[in-house]
This record gives sequence, structure tokens and C-alpha cells, in this order.
Amino acid sequence: MKKWMCALVSVLLAALLLSACGSSSNNSNGGTNTGKQSSQPAAGEKVKLSIWVLNANWDWVEKAVEDYRAVDPNLEVEVTHYETDPIKEALKVAASSRTLPDMWFTWGGSLGSFYPENGLTLDLTQVAQDHKWSEIYNKAALDMATYDGKVAGIPIHLNVLGMWYPKSVFEQAKLAPPKTFAEFEASLETLKQSGVVPLAFGSKGGWHTMRLTEQLLEHFAGPELHDKLSNLEASWNDPAVVKTFEKLSEYTDKGYFPKGYSSLDPAEADNLIYQKQAGMVSEGTWFDGTISSEGFDNTEFDVFKFPTDQKPERATVFSEMFQLNAELQGAKKDAAIKFGEYLTSAEVMNKYPGRSPAVLNANMPPEMPHLKTLLDHANDGGFLITDQALPQEVVQKLFEAQDKVAFKEWTPQQAAEEMEKAAAAYKAKSK
Amino acid sequence: MTLRNLKPWLFLSPALLVYLTVIFVPAVYTSYLSLFRWNGVTPDKQFVGLRNFIDLFMVDNVFVKALKNNLLWMVGSLVFIMGFGLLLAMLLNRKMKGRTAFRGIFYFPYVLSGIVVASGWAWMYNPTQGFINKLLETIGLESWTHAWLAEPKTALYAVFVAALWQGVGQPMVLFLAGLQTIPQEPYEAAIIDGAKRRQTFRYITLPLLRETFLIVVATTMIGSMKVYDIIYGMTGGGPAESTQVLASWMYYQTFRFANIGTGSAISLTLVLITLVVIIPYVYYTTKKSHV
Repeated sequence: MKKWMCALVSVLLAALLLSACGSSSNNSNGGTNTGKQSSQPAAGEKVKLSIWVLNANWDWVEKAVEDYRAVDPNLEVEVTHYETDPIKEALKVAASSRTLPDMWFTWGGSLGSFYPENGLTLDLTQVAQDHKWSEIYNKAALDMATYDGKVAGIPIHLNVLGMWYPKSVFEQAKLAPPKTFAEFEASLETLKQSGVVPLAFGSKGGWHTMRLTEQLLEHFAGPELHDKLSNLEASWNDPAVVKTFEKLSEYTDKGYFPKGYSSLDPAEADNLIYQKQAGMVSEGTWFDGTISSEGFDNTEFDVFKFPTDQKPERATVFSEMFQLNAELQGAKKDAAIKFGEYLTSAEVMNKYPGRSPAVLNANMPPEMPHLKTLLDHANDGGFLITDQALPQEVVQKLFEAQDKVAFKEWTPQQAAEEMEKAAAAYKAKSK
Repeated sequence: MTLRNLKPWLFLSPALLVYLTVIFVPAVYTSYLSLFRWNGVTPDKQFVGLRNFIDLFMVDNVFVKALKNNLLWMVGSLVFIMGFGLLLAMLLNRKMKGRTAFRGIFYFPYVLSGIVVASGWAWMYNPTQGFINKLLETIGLESWTHAWLAEPKTALYAVFVAALWQGVGQPMVLFLAGLQTIPQEPYEAAIIDGAKRRQTFRYITLPLLRETFLIVVATTMIGSMKVYDIIYGMTGGGPAESTQVLASWMYYQTFRFANIGTGSAISLTLVLITLVVIIPYVYYTTKKSHV
């Protein structure tokens, strides 16, 4: 009896270890004290800031930090880099364990809204007014950093997406950038016949292929219904959604995607574009910089606006910003705002080009030959990228639906129904 | 209470305090949270009773898939990881040249981080440029090539192979330790009595490894319920959520969707399933064991 009790207790202890992994936070009082910012420095004292940013193409931050020493020698900045999906999760973990850094990079929409909605970010509305941000930053970028009328972030990038293609691949296939959806579909077949992969998408994580899905949805649903779907104001069990999934299924059947694209990392899919083994991919204003940083010549590529055949013909857009911890006070708060404004300034954008600035008076850098074209794409308007427009649970269902339609596990009709179920469940929960 | 009675508690208290603070209290708190709808940040938690559990089993198709995958992973681990571990231990327990080096080689992947293993194997499985398909093409088996991680039918097994490569070292070392405690005399006596190798394995090695099996089976089962990093690194739960396991779905619910209640409910379910599977095994085995 004793023996098995001992062994049982050991197993119970080990199992409890498992259980403890699930708890995210011991803080149930909802207060915002982390203890981390408990000692706020007075003016003139050394200030230490922590900042979380992305990894790829974000090495300029350390250089900008070095430059900033000339402006404020008292500021010490600790930079931490994350990959795309890990930063989303790390921020959620930090939010629930009250260990958010002083400043962090985030996207707009539903990815960035969690923090201001839960009182975790500094309300920058007054700062924006006092510092005349409306004259400094692009209005759309500032709007996308504003939640419930309060400015919740310092906008850094305003991104527009388009269909990128290697010029040589199009020349070889005797193709011109398509102007209509029918031409777009014809070019897919031509590219396939010419021996390249027509659409270089990698569905690992879901968001890469989503960029095609949302364009197909814009084509079939039109701007008004698309916006309603994104706001969960219309049923996803709609013929336009069904047609969208039918197209994804059709393109998969026709072999328009890379082999094994459902588990392909987006970076690996982009690699096919760099190496001219694929025809097109939906990437954004950052892609000039990405191509260069991968060691390729970005002038060998071009970009066209996805032909949705809709009026207005809108492009996918999204913003990126720095949010500041609500805990910041006194000199540290001032230093963080000043540093955030510096990182997003035209001076830094011009010195370290390769991105699409949200600041108004930045130069069009020669290193980014397609930046202006892409920004012009948004002149007719834009729609918010889907993984920022929809709640994250519904986004995850969309990713699942994309894959399951491709594998014929769900019919397009079932996929639309499942999307509607997920949207309804989210709405019921949010009531 | 005399000092004599207090002494054991005094010695136990440092570890017990740490355990209670870091493991026990959060575990109880997790169970409590599983009864609420909460995003992890707001002061208000909405009590929903067993709703999170009901939704998991009745509505959430991904949870059911994840649960099946965990059970499949457990069976696979017990058969293959433990089986190969025992086989390797038997081989490397023999007197042979390079024995220590081989032990190191087979144990080496176990000390690697799951994410490192996942990255390496994901590249090996790359459908166009990966080592596995290239190898198959080179040896003329082109028809066998697959998008291993991209097809729901093969993805979980492909990840499992990587986990097998990484994990086989641990049971191997435990079995080796167990084998080295078995004296030579029973084998010598058995040989004199005309026992064959198969019979010495069946009637001497296996019974005398009972305690080792207890440890290996328990840790393998718990490990297979906890599996997370290699899945996250290789497939992220995809394609079509076909490789989600309870730990990854718990993580997604908790930290991607901020559904702390649902995440906690998955966590508690994970523990309960582990206990249901392991308690009968431990009870049965320890009754017969010498420890």
C-alpha cells in the first residue's frame, strides 16, 4: 500500500507540474502595478527603457539607439527582437503576467487593440495634440493607432500590399501585369505552363495565404460587403465567401501554389520569388527592403495592384506602431515618448530606409523603387488586412478553413458555415 | 509537538515552500480559472461554471482533434520511443568498441532544444529542397516523395519521427542504468539450464527491469501529454489544425486569443487525462515491484 501511495504521489506531483503550465497569471485584482516601473527616475537621471521589436529588417533600431545617445545621453535602451508570430504571443503573455516592456512594436486593428482596450497602454491623445502629430504623421496611420477616440500608439509604418513579381519571369511568359480579374486568372495558367509556380504563398501560420483570400473576397463580395464581413456585421455564410473558398480550392487543384504550401514557411515561399521560380506573391511596402536584405536586386522585381474589378479598387493596408506602457510616469514617460517620436521621425526613416514610413515628410528613398507605386495603390482606398480586421479566434478559423478547403476536408459551403459559426460564437461571447 | 516530530518538516520546508508557491498554488488557481471567462487582464471575470469544458467537448472541433493526437502520440511514444530506447540500451550494454561514443551519439539529440530540432527537421522535410525528398529521388524512389508536413494524413507522423529521433536517448539511458544493475549470475544460471537468448530476455531481463519500466512508462506518458515545442516549431498546429495537441491548443487559446478560462480548462483536462491513464498503471505496477 505504502509503495503505490508513494509512487502515486510522485505521479500526482509530476502531473501538477503540467497543470501549472496553464496558468498565466496570479494577478486577479486587475491592477496595473508590475513593480517593474515602481521607481520612476527624476529629470536628469539615467533612464532605462525596454523595447520589443520585430526581427527581420529591424536591425536599424540598435543603430538608431546609438544615434540617439547624442540627443539624450542619459537614456539606455534594451532592445529585444522577436519573429512575427512569437511577438504577438510574447506580448499577450507579458500582458497577462504584467511584464510588458516600456515600449513595444505592434500592428494595428485587432492585433494592437487588446492593449489599449485593457488599459495597458499610455493614452497619447494629449501628446498627439500638443506635438501636432496630425501634421507629422499620415492621417490613415494615426487613425489606425487610435482606439475609441484615444491615440494608443506612435505610428511608425503605413503599409500597402500589392502583387510582386519577378520581371524576368513575366517577360519569359510574355505576360503584362493583369488589369482585370480574368487577366489575372489567365496569367496564372500561363505561368503554370511556363514551368514556374504561379502563386508563391506559404500557409504555415495562415497569414500569408490569407492575403490572397482577402483579395478574392474583395473581388467577389465588393468593398461594402467585405467591410461588413470584417466588422462581423454580415453573415459569413454568404455566396461571396463560398466563391472565395471555391477559388482557393480550384487554385490548389490546378497546382498554382508551391508543393506543400499548406505547411510552407512564408519566408521559404518568398524565396521562390527571389530565385525566379515563382510568378507572384502578395507582399507589401517593406518588400523592397526584404529583397535587398536577402541579397537580391529589388529592381529586378515589380508590383501590380490586385485587380478586384471593383469600384473603388482597394488595396490591402495596415499600420504598425509603438505602444507605450501605461505604467510609465514622470521623466521615464517623457523620455519614452521622445524616443518613440525619434524612432518614427523622418530623420531616422531617411537614414535607415527600407520601410514605408508613417511620418509625412520622409523621403522616397532610391533603395525602395516600388514604394511610391504601392502607396499610390492606396489612393483609391484600402481595406484593413484580415488578421487585424477580424478577432483573432475568427482569424484562426479562417486559417483552418483555407487549409481544409484545400485538402477537401470541407467544401467551400462548409467553410463559409464554419466561419459564420466562429463569428457568431465570438459575438455571443463578447456581449 | 517535539523537536523530533518537527525535524522532518523543517528539512522538507524549503523544497515544500517552493513547490507550493510555484506549482501547487498556480495549479489550483488554474483549476479555479477554468470556471471563468476572462481575458487575463481585466479585473472582471465572468463565472461560467463548466461552460468552458462543455464548449471544448461539444463545440470545439480542434480540441477533439488535439485530444486524439495526444493519445496517438502517447501510444506512438510507448511503442516506438520506449521500444527503440530499450533496443538501443540492449545493444549498447554489450561489450563493444566505441560503446561510449555511440551512447553519446544517441543521447545527444535529447539535449537539444525542441525548437532547434524542429527547425532542422522542417528543412529536411521541405517538399522541394529538403533532404528527405532529395534522398528518395537520388535512390530512385521519386514516387515516394511527399509534402510530408503539408498533408494532414502524414504531418503528425512526420513530426513524430523527428520527436522519436530526439527523444529516444532518454529511455535508452534509463534502460542502460537499469540493465547495469542486473547481476550476471541469473544469466549464467539460465545459460547452464539451456535457456535461449529470447528466453533470458523474457524471463530475466524484463522482470528485473520492472522498476525502470515504471519510471520510463510514466515519464513517456507524461512527456507525450506535454508535447508542444516540436509541434509549434514544425507545423504550428497545421495544416488545417491536423497536428494540434492539447498543449499547443491551450497555448493558442490562452496567449493568442486571450481566452484564459478555455486555456485553463484545456490544461486541467490534460492533467485529468494524464492521471486517469497513469494512476491505474502506477498502482498495478508498483504492487508487483520491489520499490
